[in-house]
Amino acid sequence: MKKTDIGVVGFMYAVCAFFFLMSRDLKKGARIYPLCIIAILFLLTTGYVVEMLFAAKKNGVTSGIPEIFEGFQPKQFFIVLGMLIAYLAGMYFVGFYLATIVLMAASLLYLRVPKWQILISTIVIIGLVYGAFTMFLGVKLPVGLLFK
Amino acid sequence: MLETLALMGHGFVNAMSLSNLLFMAGGTAIGIIIGCLPGLSAAMGVALLLPMTFTMAPETGLIVLGAIYCGAIFGGSISAILIHTPGTPASAATAIEGYQLTLQGKAGKALAVACFSSFCGGLLSCISLYFFAPLLAQLAMKFGSPEYFWLSIFGLTIIAGVASKSLLKGLISGALGLLLSTIGMDPMEGAQRFMFGQASLYEGINTTCALIGLFSMSQVLILAEKKIKQRAKAAKFSDKITLSGKEIKRITPTILRSWVIGNLIGILPGAGASIACFLGYNTSRQFSHHKEEFGKGSIEGVAGSEAANNAVTGGSLIPMLTLGIPGESVTAVLMGGLIIQGLQPGPELFTRYAPMTYTFFAGFVLVQFFMLGIGLLGCRGFAQISRLSDAILIPSVAVLCVVGSFAIHKNFFDVVIMMIFGVLGYLVRKFDLNPAAIVLALILGPIGENGLRRSLRLSGGSPAILFSTPLCWVLIALCVFGVCSPIFMNRMEKKAVEDAGGDIPNETGDDPVRTSD
Repeated sequence: MKKTDIGVVGFMYAVCAFFFLMSRDLKKGARIYPLCIIAILFLLTTGYVVEMLFAAKKNGVTSGIPEIFEGFQPKQFFIVLGMLIAYLAGMYFVGFYLATIVLMAASLLYLRVPKWQILISTIVIIGLVYGAFTMFLGVKLPVGLLFK
Repeated sequence: MLETLALMGHGFVNAMSLSNLLFMAGGTAIGIIIGCLPGLSAAMGVALLLPMTFTMAPETGLIVLGAIYCGAIFGGSISAILIHTPGTPASAATAIEGYQLTLQGKAGKALAVACFSSFCGGLLSCISLYFFAPLLAQLAMKFGSPEYFWLSIFGLTIIAGVASKSLLKGLISGALGLLLSTIGMDPMEGAQRFMFGQASLYEGINTTCALIGLFSMSQVLILAEKKIKQRAKAAKFSDKITLSGKEIKRITPTILRSWVIGNLIGILPGAGASIACFLGYNTSRQFSHHKEEFGKGSIEGVAGSEAANNAVTGGSLIPMLTLGIPGESVTAVLMGGLIIQGLQPGPELFTRYAPMTYTFFAGFVLVQFFMLGIGLLGCRGFAQISRLSDAILIPSVAVLCVVGSFAIHKNFFDVVIMMIFGVLGYLVRKFDLNPAAIVLALILGPIGENGLRRSLRLSGGSPAILFSTPLCWVLIALCVFGVCSPIFMNRMEKKAVEDAGGDIPNETGDDPVRTSD
């Protein structure tokens, strides 16, 4: 048994509890099916808890974290994730194209990509999106609150 | 019979329009690029490019997605042969013999065998698509509401069971997906469920956004957590990418055997190209007159693996198109593409929408020829692309995920949903849950709920209706099989990998479902 599975089980029970509480406000007809699914998820999770306990008895308890996060680069991961979230916010405020140029440049610089490759990658991606989505599909990409 | 032949002919005429041919060529080339990049997988590629098919005619959109699928399965062999790193798990067995041939200065030969065998495997798999799909669709015509309920349960059990390391975790993933599928308007009474005051959730969670998040954005996060390494240089080769008549004669029996294996594996829900390639490889070794060459660079080994994995493509479309049961993650994504076009898998595809379906089939046949041509001509170029750094892939794929999810409804909320599912997909994959089961549950959930509630309404609330026909019992038996099948599948896969022996590289396209492959 891995200790990390306790987190999985806890998350599933939390999901069950959350949806169960939310379902109390629903009409009877609309509530039955979600309640059945919640019950199934609850039973399966409980079944997994039992399986975990048997596994713990048989093979002992391991952390699980070294296996799951083998080679994990926390600084790089959270900076990239932060950049992606900032990109979404940036897209909302300054528009898609400007935010994309900033994301491409910033992330590629951070990941130590040679400058000429940064330039080519950014041009290719912008060109691809413009050609495929703006020209071909006619999608009006966000221009941003600041430029509306 | 004559009507079917007419539909087939009409399908070819439609598929050969200039725009369709251009899209086939483009889709195949994109698929090969995605396949040969070890950081990307076929399912991810299809999910990423799904939004681009919205405005296309349904048959054209499906042809493009099919082309990406076939191209990606073949593309994995290029990096497997030249840099000993399979682009997708489906080419893991190809790396064993292919790289040995490269070391001997016969990379061109290995690529030619991979290309020709993939072409033959894919083309032959179309025969079963033409033959079995209409038959299965006729059976599906007999389905009523109770049968559709059991069918949705069967689809979930099979993918949750087979494609996960732990059966219970797979089923938990499916149940989580089912719960998420209840978000939005209640299908029978029109009541709002779990919408958190968001009008954008009125029609439920957008399946495409969920697909892009779970398969593509999660892959961005997976790539971002690892140390960025420069990939090995692709081996330079000077030999011609051609095959002699003698070599074609030698690999033909292997290709035919692998076609049968790949096709059966494809039709069988839950098994996929990653199992087929090892089975094809092992069978080629068993029947070979040149067993001594295996492990040292055998063209039969390459042919066995590549013909089998591409033979899966046509076979896996059969249960997806006729019953709505995708056999693996790529077909689950393809099914999403079908639903986005407003089409439901099932018998209607072979009656009301038969011209569209047969055009898609014809396109699928023609895609194999494009794969052969582009593969043979572009191998050297694709080999260079396969070295593209993960550092460049991370922001590039992220941008395409964002723009793709925005393009669906031109709604920023969809981008947020995609991002949430991206993080969820990352965690799901880290903790051995099953993203394909979640996606499938999102698709099958409403079908199952409709089937269940309509059945209960018809019977005045009595659940006995769910057990009232022989077909229901057949489907219940299949559900039990779905739950038990992982035991057989795991044994089959383990045995195939063990029998293959040799040096199987670890880094692959990191298929979202079968990461352990």
